[in-house]
Amino acid sequence: MSETNKNIILSVKDLEVKFKVRDRVLTAIRHISMDFEEGKVVAIVGESGSGKSVFTKTFTGMLEVNGEVTNGEIWFEGQDLAKIKKDSDWEKIRGKKIATVFQDPMTSLNPVKKIGDQISEVIIKHQGKSKAEAKKMAIEMMGKVGIKDPDLRYDEYPFMYSGGMRQRIVIAIALACRPKILICDEPTTALDVTIQAQIIRLIKDLSEEYGFTTIYITHDLGVVANVADIVAVMYAGQIIEYGKVDEIFYDSKHPYTWGLLSSLPQLGEKGEDLFAIRGTPPSLFEEVKGDAFAPRSNYAMKIDYVEEPPFFKVTDTHYAKTWLLDPRAPKVEPPAAVKELHERMLALTSKGGIYSER
Amino acid sequence: MRNYILKRILKSFVSIFAVVSIIIVMIYTMIPSEKVFDNDAGAKKMKGDQLTTYKLKKLEELGYHDYVSKIDMCTATFGDGAQSCIDGDEAKLKEASDAYAASGYEILTLKSGEPYALHTYKWYELIARFYKRLLVIDNKNAIQDPEDPDMERKYYWGKNPENGSPALLCQGCTYKYQMWFDGSFPFIHQNKFKLDFGTSFPTNSGIPTMQVITDGQGSTKKINQTFDTGLNEESALIQTSCQYKVQVDHLDAKRFTDKYANCRSYHESPSMVNTSYILGLIALVIAYVMGLPLGMAMAAHKDKLLDKIGIAYINLLIAVPSLAFIFFMRSIGTLFNLPDKFPQLGFNDIRSYIMPVLILALLQTPSLMMWLRRYMIDQSNADYVKFARAKGLSQNEIFRKHILRNAIIPIVNGIPASIILCISGALITESAFAVPGMGKMLPDAIKQTNNNMVITLVFIFTSLSILSVLIGDLLMTVVDPRISLTAKGGE
Repeated sequence: MSETNKNIILSVKDLEVKFKVRDRVLTAIRHISMDFEEGKVVAIVGESGSGKSVFTKTFTGMLEVNGEVTNGEIWFEGQDLAKIKKDSDWEKIRGKKIATVFQDPMTSLNPVKKIGDQISEVIIKHQGKSKAEAKKMAIEMMGKVGIKDPDLRYDEYPFMYSGGMRQRIVIAIALACRPKILICDEPTTALDVTIQAQIIRLIKDLSEEYGFTTIYITHDLGVVANVADIVAVMYAGQIIEYGKVDEIFYDSKHPYTWGLLSSLPQLGEKGEDLFAIRGTPPSLFEEVKGDAFAPRSNYAMKIDYVEEPPFFKVTDTHYAKTWLLDPRAPKVEPPAAVKELHERMLALTSKGGIYSER
Repeated sequence: MRNYILKRILKSFVSIFAVVSIIIVMIYTMIPSEKVFDNDAGAKKMKGDQLTTYKLKKLEELGYHDYVSKIDMCTATFGDGAQSCIDGDEAKLKEASDAYAASGYEILTLKSGEPYALHTYKWYELIARFYKRLLVIDNKNAIQDPEDPDMERKYYWGKNPENGSPALLCQGCTYKYQMWFDGSFPFIHQNKFKLDFGTSFPTNSGIPTMQVITDGQGSTKKINQTFDTGLNEESALIQTSCQYKVQVDHLDAKRFTDKYANCRSYHESPSMVNTSYILGLIALVIAYVMGLPLGMAMAAHKDKLLDKIGIAYINLLIAVPSLAFIFFMRSIGTLFNLPDKFPQLGFNDIRSYIMPVLILALLQTPSLMMWLRRYMIDQSNADYVKFARAKGLSQNEIFRKHILRNAIIPIVNGIPASIILCISGALITESAFAVPGMGKMLPDAIKQTNNNMVITLVFIFTSLSILSVLIGDLLMTVVDPRISLTAKGGE
């Protein structure tokens, strides 16, 4: 998957994360390797429980107390993040180099601390500025994320802000120290549709201005289509398909990606039954044999139950983890809905569609 | 905000009025009036009509009823020509008693056959009489002295004899010193407005209840002071408390140039209120100084050894009955040569205070620790804490700057109540150590049917509780910006 001539900012190698849940061990991330290119927008998609959040939490050491990186390396600026154990070491990464924006802006801010103090707090901590300097920088940052009269609003409290404005503040805090990577963990899920587009736009504009790498975790394929350069599809703790956004949308190879795309409500047509992937994801308490998606797949072959498929290269930038790409496999066509996706997507993202830029 | 506070104060008055009225009605109508004399030594020596009239007079004094003796009936009805009625003129006496009977009095007779009129107050009259008497505003026409009918009545500025600071004085008022300043709380003192709850009976008979609670205890303390006449002597009199005295004796004349010579005295030991307050406040400070950091530490080290020890301590103190704990601690105290009774060494020895204060403090720590730990743990699961971690703040910074600020809010709400209600004393601890404080006042007063004292204490405790809740709520607006107090709920 890696290309030597590109600027790799974060490189994950053979990562495995395990959780202890009531005396049982759950393997949440099963040997993921992936490189993040500098300045690119990477979207990680997948159903709930596929390990999207856990995967990105390992970059900032934010796993729950019962979780642990049991294998693999995470290389960032010449340092293996998987080896960091002490909180004091993480503090040099979190917020400073790798920042996170969470899903719910309504609860992400401390309700009894002034908005401005919550921003300048990070600046003081990571850049060692004085209070007055930090305040100046915070006000500037508030202006950057689109807060009007930031100097007046500096002393206000979160409850005086709307949801969209709070998310802007969260972004301001995340970007206050000019991080190299911004992880957006479903940043717009809790916001209403009109605000969603504004926040997405804002993150995109700021990423162009500051040149940080953005990692989106999202269910919203509209967001993906709009902003992502690269899409990684996750299933049962693994990345099963990886490629440029066009490649994933219009030339996907993995049956799970097909299922995921076919089941998009936005792409359904009136009168048609919405497609649903049958069955449930495998239990991660037990070892998964073969292709994790095989029991739910309409295209499963015998080999899928026996041996885990390797990554097959589709193009230089597009890889998929399915035996269907093996030369010995029978040729299969993706479902009709996926084939028509191009036209449907186009209709949605062009002027007047739900995902056209507002 | 201002409207809100005004409304709250108004509501507070209504609440106090309701509580005190209910207590008054309960005491006067539901407890047999005979019980008042159960502990009265005076009544035990009397019998027959003497006892009956004594009781009638005493109960009138205590506000149960209006008692009119034969002589009073006659005098009120016939004025100067009452003598024949008093001497036994049947027709005139009949006329007088009929007049009283007509105005709602019951005509009863003593064993000797002498008639008297009695009007037992109805519940609404009881309440009305209480509130009519309650607030006494001193004014310059308060004193009507038949020996000095033309006295000059005026307010004027003078000096506080204790420290020479300015004081507002009055001639013609009940109290000479209307307002003065000194270094003791609340720094501005006044005699202009007084609450009159009646006098204490049967204990401390005849002394106003407020004075019983607030006067110093023990023997009087003489301090060196200069009187109006220039006399400089060791005296226990509190000059700022002096009231008008009609009959001035030669001792008074030696000290005072006017007739304000009826003064209260300095005492060696603090009053009951102050005793309880000193103990309570020190204990409170210790409890908070111990409890809050421990609760915080427990939350920070949740499920670690420290937390487990803390929980064991909390469980132990909650599970062991406080009485057992107090006596256990007291016997430990005796091992260190600390007195097991407060009066053994008295007020002036620090050792008297150690065990009561320590016990009071320890008894308060478990709940403080438990609640703070719990609030902090609740908060530490909040999203903003997760985000604060993602910001790169250290665990310590998150605890201090984020979690504590949120967790302390409900604790702050209770602080004014803890401070103010120290006044009410601690019944069990004070009893165990025989501390002369407020704790046993209410149960004692109830036991002795000291009605006025019960009402006084109920009034004070109710007012303070309501006040402390109000202050607690106001304090919340300081620590929690989301809370703003408005009369209508949101602007």
